[in-house]
Amino acid sequence: MHAHPGAPPSRRRFLALAAGGAAAGAAALSGCALSTAGAAPGGSESVTMMVNLDDVSPELVKQAQKEIGVKITIVAYDITRLIAMLTNGNPPDLVRGLGALDAPYFAARDVAENLDPYFAKSTVLKVDDLDPANDLWRFDGTTQGKGPRYGMAKDFSQDAMFWYNTAHFDKAGVDYPSDTDPITYEEWLDNAKRLVQRKNGQTTVYGGSYNGLGLGILFTNLTAAAGGSLFSDDFSRVDFTSPEARRALTWYVDYAKTRVGPSLIQPNPDAWDGPTYVASRMAMSGSGYWLGGMINAEAKVAEVSRLAPAPVFEGGPRISACQGGTGMWMPKKARNKDAAWRVFEWFFGEAPAKARAEGGWGIPTLKSLQSLMPDKEDYQKRVLEVQRAELKHFSVTPFTPYIKTEAIDAIINQIIPAAMNGQLSVDTLAGRLNSSVNEQMKRGKEQVG
Amino acid sequence: MTVGQIPEIPQVTGQPRKVARTGAVRSGDLPRTSMTARRHRAFYMFTSPWIIGFLLLTIGPMAYALWLSFTTFDGISPNWKYVGFGNYQELLSDSVTWDSLGRAGLFAITSVPLSIIAGMGLAVLVNRPLKARGLWRTLLYLPAVVPPVGAGLIFKQLFNRDSGATNGVLNIFGIDAIAWLDDPYARYVILMAVLWAAGNIMIISLAGLQDVPRELHEAARIDGASAWRTFRSITVPLLSPVLLFQAVTGMIASVQTIMPMLLAADASPKGVTSIPQSNYMYMMHVFAEYFALGRYGYGSALLWVLFVLILIATGLIFKFTSGVVFYNVDPEAKK
Repeated sequence: MHAHPGAPPSRRRFLALAAGGAAAGAAALSGCALSTAGAAPGGSESVTMMVNLDDVSPELVKQAQKEIGVKITIVAYDITRLIAMLTNGNPPDLVRGLGALDAPYFAARDVAENLDPYFAKSTVLKVDDLDPANDLWRFDGTTQGKGPRYGMAKDFSQDAMFWYNTAHFDKAGVDYPSDTDPITYEEWLDNAKRLVQRKNGQTTVYGGSYNGLGLGILFTNLTAAAGGSLFSDDFSRVDFTSPEARRALTWYVDYAKTRVGPSLIQPNPDAWDGPTYVASRMAMSGSGYWLGGMINAEAKVAEVSRLAPAPVFEGGPRISACQGGTGMWMPKKARNKDAAWRVFEWFFGEAPAKARAEGGWGIPTLKSLQSLMPDKEDYQKRVLEVQRAELKHFSVTPFTPYIKTEAIDAIINQIIPAAMNGQLSVDTLAGRLNSSVNEQMKRGKEQVG
Repeated sequence: MTVGQIPEIPQVTGQPRKVARTGAVRSGDLPRTSMTARRHRAFYMFTSPWIIGFLLLTIGPMAYALWLSFTTFDGISPNWKYVGFGNYQELLSDSVTWDSLGRAGLFAITSVPLSIIAGMGLAVLVNRPLKARGLWRTLLYLPAVVPPVGAGLIFKQLFNRDSGATNGVLNIFGIDAIAWLDDPYARYVILMAVLWAAGNIMIISLAGLQDVPRELHEAARIDGASAWRTFRSITVPLLSPVLLFQAVTGMIASVQTIMPMLLAADASPKGVTSIPQSNYMYMMHVFAEYFALGRYGYGSALLWVLFVLILIATGLIFKFTSGVVFYNVDPEAKK
């Protein structure tokens, strides 16, 4: 039955019209969604970068426009937003990522662009000038460190090294660690116990902090330092019950139990080591060379700060891996790949790369830029010497493509506090971790295919 | 004439309506159907933005989430599949789900009554004649306008074991520092954060209190009723619709609280899982499943189950309070 002209719309018709309006609205919203690439006003190319806001400052955006004629639009890094953008086929042109963890994950899911052809023809980023740390961004379908390059690190550190404050060592009467020979993890923990300062139940100075860039990657590296591997050969399973993994777990649980440093059961009010160490409220920080960028800005702290080699387990191999390798990758569906590559070259090989190298925020990933690392002051020279010696022990500890780093950290975060509080034995902890992580990895493997 | 009734257009008996040569009805002399149509059109015009928004931003995402809940979609991997009710079956045997739901329920049944009592108590206090009453009302309401993220930061700093002011005060009295943000104390910090913002409930209760006819109180006083009796037998019954509203909205908000995440040392997808167990409530579990584990399908199933449970809980609250809530008008009366 048709309504006669002038009659009010029926409820049914009104809802139908509203649904139509909603559909039109959805289309309009979709049209209004962030355009990720294309020509910018004025004829220059436009590239969208999803990065942390301090990775690419507004000044750097202006500099890019001036130097390479590319307009950069910054989108704050957010994994949920990235997934939404990837899902709707409208990803950013360049995305921030941790080579050590993100490279295999995104490459295995076929969303990252193989950059080998770009590197092959680049005059700025020559393959023989790339530091081996960039191998973190390689993945051959099974193993990290081999195969095509899916990204590049902006700088890197050997994250198992640690900084220490000599003033706290002097006060506690603890010998300084050697610049060349690593101490053992057990010695590190003993030192931390002697260095920690407490008053009325409050920790006023942490003896040391050793949390890595996340517990998943930390245990991967600690297990490797104990002479084993956390992952099976095909990276489809973990084994926390192996003697090496148990050794790693036992050491870390002891570290947390003694409450000498921040952990899940004793969170750092500053959220991370940097501000706490620079405020002289931490005697040792398990952070690599990159923290020097922050330390150098505080001359008083810099003068009493030294960098020490990565600890070893008694009888274990000497390895010093990079746990991060923060850099960028290009989504396969990026709209403006050539302009994105131009930005990539500029960011990793030209003015911004030189500025980063001079600042001491990590080791430059181009060998040709490593001579720019700060060495004017005596303390900088000393740090640089230790770092250069440590480079001989650099290695890539491969990570699995079947689980996100957030996922493995999430599972560990949920189970390990009970062990830290003494309610769970390390054996039980290892068993539970195996069960939960392997279940998640099984799902991941099915989804990758 | 009741509100919403359409006024009748007066018609002069025996006088034909004046129709122009074109046949159109002159303005001011509109037929009743045309006026009704205009009113309906106006109604639909004014409500359509909301209806469209509701369809676009509520029904659409809910339908999408429902579809996702039948899949293993993780947002990025190519080989996700349809699993029917598999996620719902898994949910039934997932102890983390039930534990987190239990904690959320416990939080709701403690925080909602406590905050209503606190808010109503404050409302009674600031409804009395006192000096600088406006200032008191403003001061008590202020915490409620602090954004939750700000409130989270404040409480995180206040209760930090090593640098928080709370332990500083305890130290003055010779009491050793307490790890407030860890188990088993973390749950009390959340409760305090909720009570701190009871100003919202105070304002609504205050509006309700001011609507209570003064003569009822005067009559009770003349009859010799005590202040408590007056409060219990007059104030509370007349405030009961307001209290019911606060109980329902409070329950819905508290089972979905994200305050534990704001108090976490690391408010990121993986950081959410480092929240102490006593504060690991349902929405934390949902957040972790979605964004830390990348299980969009399972996370969506969790959300749908929560939605249904909230509907049931709301229905039960209405059912069990129907006899005790006092309405000035009969809500069941035919319009």
